[in-house]
Amino acid sequence: MSSVRRWLEAIPHVAITLLMLVAIVDMLVGVFLRYVMTAISAQLDLPSVSFFWVEEVGEWSLAWMTFIAAAIGIRRGTHFAVQLAIERFPPGLRRALLTAHCCLIMGFGLIVAVFGWQTAAGNSQSVSPGLGLNLWWLYISAVAGGLLICLYTLATIVDVWRGRNPWSHAPVQSEGPEP
Amino acid sequence: MIAAVVVTFFLLVALSMPIVFALGVSGTLGLYLGNFSLQKVPAALVSGSQSWVLLAIPTFVFAGYLMERCGMSYALVNLARALIGWVRGGLGMSVVLAEYFFSGISGSTIADVSAIGAMLTPPMLRAGYKPEQAASLVASATAMGILVPPAIFMIVLGQITDTSVVGIFLAGFIPAAVTAACLMATILVQAHRLHWPKDARPSRRELSEACRQSLIPMGVPVLIVLGFFFGVFTATEAGALVALYAVLAAVFYYKNVGARAMIRLVHESALLTGAVMFLLAVASIYQFLMGMMGVPRLLGDLLAPLQGQPWLFLLAVSVLVMLFGMVLEGLPAAVVLIPVVFPIAKQIGIHPIHFDIVLTAAVGIGLFLPPIGVGLLMTLRFADISVGQHFRAYCPYIGTLLIGLLLLILFPEISLFLPRQAGLVR
Repeated sequence: MSSVRRWLEAIPHVAITLLMLVAIVDMLVGVFLRYVMTAISAQLDLPSVSFFWVEEVGEWSLAWMTFIAAAIGIRRGTHFAVQLAIERFPPGLRRALLTAHCCLIMGFGLIVAVFGWQTAAGNSQSVSPGLGLNLWWLYISAVAGGLLICLYTLATIVDVWRGRNPWSHAPVQSEGPEP
Repeated sequence: MIAAVVVTFFLLVALSMPIVFALGVSGTLGLYLGNFSLQKVPAALVSGSQSWVLLAIPTFVFAGYLMERCGMSYALVNLARALIGWVRGGLGMSVVLAEYFFSGISGSTIADVSAIGAMLTPPMLRAGYKPEQAASLVASATAMGILVPPAIFMIVLGQITDTSVVGIFLAGFIPAAVTAACLMATILVQAHRLHWPKDARPSRRELSEACRQSLIPMGVPVLIVLGFFFGVFTATEAGALVALYAVLAAVFYYKNVGARAMIRLVHESALLTGAVMFLLAVASIYQFLMGMMGVPRLLGDLLAPLQGQPWLFLLAVSVLVMLFGMVLEGLPAAVVLIPVVFPIAKQIGIHPIHFDIVLTAAVGIGLFLPPIGVGLLMTLRFADISVGQHFRAYCPYIGTLLIGLLLLILFPEISLFLPRQAGLVR
């Protein structure tokens, strides 16, 4: 595998790790501001510390992380599937069925991306109440998610044609590098 | 249109499409057939995946992974064995006790199966328990464990039913203890019937050493109970604090998880969180459709004869949830079914916390219900036996879990006592 491809494959993994860290640290900062700084500023009669942004940073990180991790999860088999029927099918039928599923999932991803773009454009005049960020940046997460769903599903089709069932509980081994 | 959406969903699930995408595809089909704008799809996904309450999920998942990696589960298993292992059937009972303790630090039932199954199945087999008995003990104890907070499932339920997660968490401790007591009584009877052995009685020094080693992991449930009982913090803040507690314990006390391993755990937690959150977000499309099509009202009419008897209604819903939970796994079952039945429960005067606890218990049983409960299949993998070999030995334990569930249904106060004491229920 070329090093460029390895780096490209690592980007979503690095992104969800960073977003997760941001969410955890943000919540801890929120607890600190709410319980410690509020008490200190009240004690010393200082202007109160604003922590409205804490909720927003956490929620936006979670939204972006959800879309990216959900896409990665397609190939890794983290989404739950009932495997009883398919494991009894002959290999050819199993492969055809998994490919059909992947095509439907790609169609869903495409709808999320295309209509996500329209939704983002429709919200581009609004800003968030805490940080004053343009809501376009929130809704564009759906576009990123939809496109990533298509990409990871395409990779899953390749896996299926190489004889793997990504949604049985055995994880796919040829996944890109983890951070 | 309802029929087209529901049939498509079940057909895709039966043909092994991941449930979240079966929901997404059939939901999108429903929007198209109902002439709704498809912009509803991304809009629902974005709004469904940003929630302050659900931010508790990644932190509890990460904290659970980290504490497990530190080896806290070993300390808890040792404590359970030291406390109770020396009575007749004590090793079996210590599975229940260890699961009660371990669930207090872990938010995922499947993680519980791995930890408890891996740690307690070999000693039980060595002590002469048959594999099907050992698997039955692990399965029934872990089915009970979902009631001990923090549980991801409870956070999700709180979100779906718009109920205080703090209230549900606090409510879980006593119902879990009641179910655990029922299980222990069954184990005691089985132990005498099947002549199960006893562990050697620990010396006072061994007991105090086991207690000392458990102090750090037991800090987590203590933090949660006291914090929630006195209304000091919310569930989301508790998640952040428990994550900080786990990191501090890993860095300064256990010193056995490096930075690289910790980052890997953050990554794993993000993946699991993404799967859970995406399921909830996609299910919100479905919930919108069901609402627009008047499904809760239809179901309300269908269940009208049961509405005069809240306990009968809860029993019927529990049976439905158990079956859904067995086939679809807990969370998908919850997101599909609960939004539809919850409004009816509220209407006939069932307290939301009571409803949530009963359904949590039902989902726990569903996950371990033969023949295809996911949790059960995983447990059987540890004992290396088939569902058929296991079924007979498992019957008394499934029966006990059902008795426990019936007690929770018939006596709401078991669930409501602690939240009431904390002022969360009037």
